[in-house]
Amino acid sequence: MIRSVVISGVGGQGLLTMGELLGEALIERGFKVSVGEIHGLSQRGGSVVVFVKYGDVQPSPIVVEGEANALVGLELIETARRVQLLAPTGIVLANNYLLPPPASQKIPGREELIEAIRRAARNVILINAVELARKAGSSVAVNMVMLGALAASGAVDLGLADLKGVVEKKFTGRTGEVNARALILGFEEAQKQLREKA
Amino acid sequence: MARAAISGDSGTRKLLLGNEAIARGAVEAGISAAAAYPGTPSTEILEALAEVAEEYGVYVEWSTNEKVALEVGIGVSMMGLRALVAMKHVGLNVASDPLMSLGYTGVVGGLVVVSADDPNAHSSQNEQDNRYYGLHSYIPVFEPSGVQEAKDMTRELFQLSEEHRTAVILRTTTRLSHSRGEVMFGAVERVHREPVFHRDPERWALLPPYSLRKHREVLERIRTLEEKLGEWPFNRFVEGDGDTLIVSAGFAHAYVREALDWLKVNPPLLKLASTYPLPRALAKRALEFRKIVVVEELEPFVEDQLRAFAQREGSSAEIHGKDLFPRVGELNTALVASGLSKALGVSFDPPRGNAAGVELPPRPPTLCPGCGHRSTYYAVKLAAARARVKPVWANDIGCYTLGFFPPFRMADFTWSMGSALGIGMGIARFSKDPVVAFIGDSTFYHAGIPGLINAVYNQYPIVVVVMDNGVTAMTGHQPHPGSGYGPTGEKRPAIPVENLARACGVEFVEVVPAYEVARLRDAVERAIKYAREKNAPAVVVARQFCALEELRMKRMRGEAVVPYVIDQAKCVKCGICVDQFSCPAIVRENGSIKILTELCAGCGVCASICPAKAIGPLSG
Repeated sequence: MIRSVVISGVGGQGLLTMGELLGEALIERGFKVSVGEIHGLSQRGGSVVVFVKYGDVQPSPIVVEGEANALVGLELIETARRVQLLAPTGIVLANNYLLPPPASQKIPGREELIEAIRRAARNVILINAVELARKAGSSVAVNMVMLGALAASGAVDLGLADLKGVVEKKFTGRTGEVNARALILGFEEAQKQLREKA
Repeated sequence: MARAAISGDSGTRKLLLGNEAIARGAVEAGISAAAAYPGTPSTEILEALAEVAEEYGVYVEWSTNEKVALEVGIGVSMMGLRALVAMKHVGLNVASDPLMSLGYTGVVGGLVVVSADDPNAHSSQNEQDNRYYGLHSYIPVFEPSGVQEAKDMTRELFQLSEEHRTAVILRTTTRLSHSRGEVMFGAVERVHREPVFHRDPERWALLPPYSLRKHREVLERIRTLEEKLGEWPFNRFVEGDGDTLIVSAGFAHAYVREALDWLKVNPPLLKLASTYPLPRALAKRALEFRKIVVVEELEPFVEDQLRAFAQREGSSAEIHGKDLFPRVGELNTALVASGLSKALGVSFDPPRGNAAGVELPPRPPTLCPGCGHRSTYYAVKLAAARARVKPVWANDIGCYTLGFFPPFRMADFTWSMGSALGIGMGIARFSKDPVVAFIGDSTFYHAGIPGLINAVYNQYPIVVVVMDNGVTAMTGHQPHPGSGYGPTGEKRPAIPVENLARACGVEFVEVVPAYEVARLRDAVERAIKYAREKNAPAVVVARQFCALEELRMKRMRGEAVVPYVIDQAKCVKCGICVDQFSCPAIVRENGSIKILTELCAGCGVCASICPAKAIGPLSG
């Protein structure tokens, strides 16, 4: 049985780090993991997507349409762009943040995007990750907030403790503390919303 | 600093990129040297090696270009030592001259040439299939099917290279180079060899009387490999049900395995890791099946070799491949499952997802906030307007290629490294409009210099704007001959672009800080006039250290970035900053224009071009 997560956002939001941390946490749980990334041009503020697939046999690194168990979106346009990769039963964890591409003419509004994502996916959790990241100590920690939210969703075989473990191993000092706090804040927020839904 | 990715004892398990796995394999094989020119998706191989250069005693260098890198590798091999050379697929075009003769000469110390191909052209100008270089040069080609195998195979290839006295091509694709998977480390071989130059002029001096003899020798070498590779452990036959054999080449195997799982079928399988020459015994065994389906990315490389073999053997096996799978772009599990379902006559219902159903603006990569290329493009555009000319914009390969996109649209063509000058000259010879060529510093060292010499010698009125940000930025800030340091941060001599331009014979050379828009505009305007009047090239070096790297260094030093803000009372909403300068940190919001302080790099160029003087540094 192979499960998969798609992480979508804008180059520079720390998506590659998220893929790496997820990969490491899943390996520690004994899974075979493939993390598919694209480097180079995409780092320069472009649209970026990272695939994390795992199972008991070595998976391929690409997630195709209708396959993903979870979509973690760090920006609303980019979340909408990749929602088609989600399986009908999958869950979307979206940062409620809109960053229009520079010099673009027609930009859909925030509400329009959220509505479109909700139409395409049955289960959508919106997280104000920028606010939570600031609360944790740095606006850069948005990626950690969203990882925490993913752990709460139950869409991957990982708990908060698994992610905290790899985050603490990778980051030290203040960055480590901020990241761990951001992870917890994201986890708690998603958990709260899921409870309210249920 | 965190411990290097590929450092560790035998038995260590780590989540590595495919490229890092290749680097680890090379370390385990006890290489003495590695040389490369950065290029996506190959770059991390040398970067990973640089991190452990001291620990494992490996000499690493960023060479000026791929040809030089390969030649360095050949020299190391002549000293009896092992070397790895890495480049992206189009880099091998640059290195193809020495490569073709390397096929004839063979090697002494093991020599692995990594060609990182880019199906789907994620960050490249084409998706050429470099396996044909192997066929073309008589150099065997190997393709790993996963990250662990990339490590193991690289290690083995050094052995094979020495045993058969041949260089080898290790061909990866983006999805292998940039996928992470768990890798179990092996022991690092300590190759204690006295470096000795293997003097053999009749072998190394490629002169006419010896070339034909060598051609015969290499044919023999390939024939031997055809026999030997049948038993090579990375090639594998797996028994299964039915009379249709699936052949997977290299990384396609990852999709085949998954697709067979989706389809719930278990046909016999031939996993090929050596795709040139075709292992004879395995090819023969394949022909025992009624139907053969070859799954490979891009061109029908294995398929066509197999067809030729079948014809020679008088086999009537039905061979399929590119009739079932696309030749353009990457494969994935759905594409492979769809093709296999047709071949095997089983049904396949591909998974479907729901599209968002709203029109989404594209998000191409952009020049970063604070990027000196942006202010350069802006200034050059102003200069052209002042000189009342409509230049042909010749552009090259690097971050600045992004000048193609609005609002600048200053790339009428981009081709290959250095082509802004070469092709630009062909245009300049017959164009009434001036030609302005943009080339980055790293690209200038790599392939710009011969073009510039040609411009002087053959008297071309071309304006060359060297966009000098001090590093090879696009691939992740690797140093180059102008940087003043090497791959591990050690001091190296710097060769400034302007010195080279003058030495090439260019008389008009001006160096201007890229943030100083008015000065740069005036210099380019002078250059346009000079080129026209003197019928000679003019060089303007627009210099500003890479903003991304600058920001990173400031963060490391604990320095704060002072962002700029717009005084809404003074702003006349002319839109110059947001529409014509187009910094990603400047956005329109509810009818007004504002700067996103979290994105602002504090360069202040927007303040200098604001006609209303409404922009200034955030105070307090």
